[in-house]
Amino acid sequence: MSLLLFRKSRQKRSIKESALGISRKYSLLAGKSYVIEETPPSISFDAFSNLISTVDEKGNKTVGMAITRQHPDLVREKYGLENTPIFWLATRAGEGVISPTNLGILTHTMVKFVEEHENGVILLDGLEYLVSNNDFNKVLRVIDQVNDHVSQSGSRLILPVDPRVFEPRELALLERNMEKISAAAAAG
Amino acid sequence: MRILVVDDSEAFRKVMVELLVRAGFHEISEASGFDEAVDVYRKNRPAIMFVDMVLPGRSGVDLTKEILKIDPSAKVIAMSSIINKSMIKQSLDAGAKDFLLKPTNEIALSSVLAMWSD
Repeated sequence: MSLLLFRKSRQKRSIKESALGISRKYSLLAGKSYVIEETPPSISFDAFSNLISTVDEKGNKTVGMAITRQHPDLVREKYGLENTPIFWLATRAGEGVISPTNLGILTHTMVKFVEEHENGVILLDGLEYLVSNNDFNKVLRVIDQVNDHVSQSGSRLILPVDPRVFEPRELALLERNMEKISAAAAAG
Repeated sequence: MRILVVDDSEAFRKVMVELLVRAGFHEISEASGFDEAVDVYRKNRPAIMFVDMVLPGRSGVDLTKEILKIDPSAKVIAMSSIINKSMIKQSLDAGAKDFLLKPTNEIALSSVLAMWSD
């Protein structure tokens, strides 16, 4: 019995979403990180959910992981995410929660995902919250570290940024090794 | 290319029209519900129509079926403010070509237009 439980606990649950049968609308290249200047982060979440709910031109699926200030239940409901791991950036303790001050755990979670998934995508939503809880340079080091791993992999990083919160110098530092996306959006 | 936007929110329709104009499309008509959309479709025969799946009265799925009865080659793009997998499946089963999440943006909209315009 205990062996059975052990085996069951070792079985990895698939984190792939079922394909929706719709077109892929964003061509985010493998090995690239993207800064999207927007408030609220609707393009970022649309791109993330579209990538993991569609297949590429070769029929391959992309797996995703989101780290967000929004409550995971709300994100799952709006974007129809059933299997994708979603971590909540919050000060509350609990499973699936990452404290904004624990940059070590945050870095480890993202780097581990990149190393374990060849064709993955990470959405990191809540940069402003991280900076309000830490020194900007410390947060920048986290982004740079994850970006280094992403650039040596087949994964992508999506980083929504509220440009009103950052100084031009800070934005320039954030964007120096990343692709910048800007687009007009139509509110629903 | 003629485009029809069907949504009960006037504010959303206006912003969609603005995005479409920015993308270079100028023959755009609007409808706020099922009956008006059918009338406008018969009159204008748009090449692509964007249909909110949640409309007052008869749904976007019903509208998709009705439009395809009128013109089996019609290109309907379903829209919704949440990704409800069963609703998207119903829309695609009814004959919609694709799906756009609301709020939409220039990138997603341009991609859909590039894919489905002739």
